[in-house]
Amino acid sequence: MAIIPLKDDDGQVEHIYREKTDKRILKKNPWRDYRLHVTVLILVVIAELIGTQKIPITGDVAITIMPLIYTIVLGLVFYLAKPITWIQRKQARIAEGAMMLFIGVLIAKLAVSSGQSIHLIFEMGPALILQELGHLATILVLPIALLLGFKEEAIGMTNSIGREPNVAVVVDKYGFNSPESRGVFAIFIIGTVIGTIFISFLVTMSLSFLPLHPYAFAMASGVGSASMNAAAIGPTLAAFPGLESQIEAFAGFSNLLSFCVGIYIVIFVAIPLTEKMYNWLEPKIGKDSIAKKGDE
Amino acid sequence: MPDLIDGSENVSVHGIFNWILLLTIFSIITVIGNYLGYKHPLYDSFVGMGILSLITLAGVWMERYLPFNISSILYISVFGIVLAFPGMPTSSTVLYYVSHVELLSIVTVFLAYVGIGMGKSWDEFKALGWRAIVVTVLVIAATYYGAAIVAHIVLVATGVPAV
Repeated sequence: MAIIPLKDDDGQVEHIYREKTDKRILKKNPWRDYRLHVTVLILVVIAELIGTQKIPITGDVAITIMPLIYTIVLGLVFYLAKPITWIQRKQARIAEGAMMLFIGVLIAKLAVSSGQSIHLIFEMGPALILQELGHLATILVLPIALLLGFKEEAIGMTNSIGREPNVAVVVDKYGFNSPESRGVFAIFIIGTVIGTIFISFLVTMSLSFLPLHPYAFAMASGVGSASMNAAAIGPTLAAFPGLESQIEAFAGFSNLLSFCVGIYIVIFVAIPLTEKMYNWLEPKIGKDSIAKKGDE
Repeated sequence: MPDLIDGSENVSVHGIFNWILLLTIFSIITVIGNYLGYKHPLYDSFVGMGILSLITLAGVWMERYLPFNISSILYISVFGIVLAFPGMPTSSTVLYYVSHVELLSIVTVFLAYVGIGMGKSWDEFKALGWRAIVVTVLVIAATYYGAAIVAHIVLVATGVPAV
């Protein structure tokens, strides 16, 4: 779904979302798998009935656990739990395909909030655009990846947050079987499994401990992944009651920028910068490679 | 390797029918959650979800039918912004109904599907080892804090009051 510059010789990677969606949704009859949808309904009902829980840590710091965390964790548990035989790999594939369509609804809601607050978006234009450059901070993780024993994989791992558009860019540049692509695939898979839950807790903690501007939290939640964006907005909305439409507007717009501007920052700034850092740091702090030999 | 690359299919009438049915199922579940969690009236939030679903449908359809390499996310965003733009004739109706659908209700349902879908990557995830997990966690934190801190500095520098 990202816009990635087309290369004539390689027309395969630029629509990874779309192809996935198309295959699962358009060819099969995903709605017929009613048990999947009934299960989701049950998860949602359970989650909404439990509601938002606050767990106090110290006097004025509390961790907020929202229904969205229950549904994502329960969804994973339902897939993994052996007694639940009706949620298997097939249902997971349908859920994944359906999710690509449902991202649209989420984006539409955020877009309506953005439209409503369009004047605010123009007023905050500089902050919205410059914070996209803040995503370059991932490159700071490169030395740690090198110290942990990664080699060229580290370039793929730390140039960006490693979501679908970033995977496509790295695969396009280095080739499917390159160490760089292995690195970005690793980040992609781990981010898929723990990213959403992790960012929700990260944001909850940050809201308690970091005295940043509410709009800064809102803008930062647009990390370029719809599910992480969604998980990051939840606690932010809960922390600043009364600012819902502004927070939704900034979060949605910033995620949109991450998709359309962010990808060019990755291509033209982040990847060259990561490579430079790698060439400079690797001889100094690189460890023996932990990757299996033989595929270079 | 994750199965990112599949063959593409052409969208048939049957496919559009599938989209509509899926969006209807999604809307029903969201409206129920929205009612339980936030007590929004069922009818108004269902119309709200209908509007959002139509925007989505238009976006995903245009991505495939128009000869530009533009993501549906962009189409959907532009439609949403234009329909709600102050002064547009659609603005008050769209805002009224859509405001009855809480963002978090949508997110809660969406993430249930994400949770089930990500189970598929579980075995690959387990095979990756703690080092890669450490790097992933740091990368996500760096992206978030990088953006938050830059945004904060710019907001403070341009004198935006912390409401």
